[in-house]
Amino acid sequence: MLVQDIMTSPVQFIAPNVTLQDAYQMMQEKGIRHLPVLDNGRLVGVITDRDLRLATSALSPAPFSPGANVSAVMSRTPLTAAPSDPVEDAARTMRERKIGCLPVDDNGRLVGIITGLDLLDALMRMTGADKPSGRLEVRLADRPGELARLAGFMSGLDLNIHSILTYPEDSEKTRAVLRIGSIEVRLLAEDLRRAGFDVLWPPARPCLP
Amino acid sequence: MPSVIYHPAYRNYDFGKHHPFSPVRVEMALDLLDALGYTVNPVQPEPATRADILSVHEENFVNCVEALSSEVDVPDSARYGLGTRDNPVFPGMDEAARWIAGGTLHGARLIEQGERRVLQLGGGLHHARRDVASGFCIYNDLAVAIRYLSQRGFWVAYLDVDVHHGDGVQQILYEDMHVMTVSLHESGRYLFPGTGDIHELGSGPGRGLKLNIPLEPFTEGESYLETFEKVMSAALGQFRPGVFVVQAGADAHFDDPLADLMLTTHDYETLFNRILHLADTFAAGRVLFTLGGGYSLCAAPRIWAMLYLMIHDLPVPERLPAAWCDRWSRITGAWMPEEFHDPDLCYRPVTNREEIILRNRHVVRRLLDSASHYWV
Repeated sequence: MLVQDIMTSPVQFIAPNVTLQDAYQMMQEKGIRHLPVLDNGRLVGVITDRDLRLATSALSPAPFSPGANVSAVMSRTPLTAAPSDPVEDAARTMRERKIGCLPVDDNGRLVGIITGLDLLDALMRMTGADKPSGRLEVRLADRPGELARLAGFMSGLDLNIHSILTYPEDSEKTRAVLRIGSIEVRLLAEDLRRAGFDVLWPPARPCLP
Repeated sequence: MPSVIYHPAYRNYDFGKHHPFSPVRVEMALDLLDALGYTVNPVQPEPATRADILSVHEENFVNCVEALSSEVDVPDSARYGLGTRDNPVFPGMDEAARWIAGGTLHGARLIEQGERRVLQLGGGLHHARRDVASGFCIYNDLAVAIRYLSQRGFWVAYLDVDVHHGDGVQQILYEDMHVMTVSLHESGRYLFPGTGDIHELGSGPGRGLKLNIPLEPFTEGESYLETFEKVMSAALGQFRPGVFVVQAGADAHFDDPLADLMLTTHDYETLFNRILHLADTFAAGRVLFTLGGGYSLCAAPRIWAMLYLMIHDLPVPERLPAAWCDRWSRITGAWMPEEFHDPDLCYRPVTNREEIILRNRHVVRRLLDSASHYWV
């Protein structure tokens, strides 16, 4: 999944010589928190709702007035993403630098923006949690061929696997979490158990005869 | 007299042999009532029209169903949830699904004309979303009927006791301020469709009117009924419905093969009694029941036959007719009990019972805390 797949485009932007009051109003009206600042088509900064609140706070030793220019408050030389960057790279940049958005720059042209919320959407899409599905969690030995054995079991059952995530449980075991587009995952789990798989979810039914 | 709606054409809503959503389940319930000496005289509905369906579904989706139904290939049918393991394509499925929707819609019309208790012996296809078939559901008969009622000035309380979250009904009516939806279901942590979290509260004018109670796997009747009482009394303190529409899925029963709640037929009897009582108290007795999920051939027919008896104020018998048991054991291969109700100790004790009860209480408290924020 690439930045261009999750970015908001076209993007709302603002000029550096606009007042803080107007920037505030624009954010309120559009329901957004991040505004790239463009000067003659060139990206020169980013201003966020947090920048506005801190700059104009009565708690600040020298608060800015509502009539001050955006250019006085914005972050300069902002970090950007390229449309073809993988989303996990963008996520790493935002996490490491503790920033809430990345304007998307395509050869000097501002083509979009991604925010932390877009990354959460990406997480939901990657895990298949945005589609009607059941969740299957299986413990596998951490050796080649195990995931293929699991997927192979499901092939031919006409089951659409929306997503597979795996992560190490310890040095010997791997967890595979699958979202499957079917209401019949409970039946699948029983079949997998009978075939010797260690299925963690759905749980076994110890209370039934 | 309560009205019962049924048409033989419902049997054509059939995804084929070995599919869990089999018309045989309703046939078994009807035959059980017959074997008990009750003659079911159903009102026969008309199929829903294309326009009825389009009141809740998108045209592209309906076009796709119609094409597949008349055996025209649609390359991107999986996008609409069709041609999958859960929703295989079958010839005539558009018409079959319109018959089901027409039945539930007919129930809404009867309520509008002054009928109080209506039982639609089919339908409850609560997973169908605006533009996607899902979880055995093609057209959302419930949403069609609810929309019909709300457009005619009824405030509708939709109650969904199917073990799966009523996601399609919720999605279609998410912003509707005339409709409160309450779904009690097993948590979507692993169970299909994965939604139905307490934070899904509706949006826009409907905010605070969509309530979801995700219950722990292996929740038993006592905790289920306690939850039901707490949520319904809070919800009905806020929203005064003119009619209840109830999706009476039978798959919260402990024997259901697709899910893990632990209700018995006794619990279902208490639940149905309480629903009828709430309808009498809050909505002048107006209640439209549909069926829904329920995949245990041993349990679902008994639960639905019991629902029929209860809305007619008829007694629930002690024993099942032996001839009925023999016949359906032979046909389906399923085991049939001798008694109508489940025995007292029908499953082994749930080991973490206390923990489950506490967790469910916690969920109810968190739900009501956040929902009441939107209530006046």
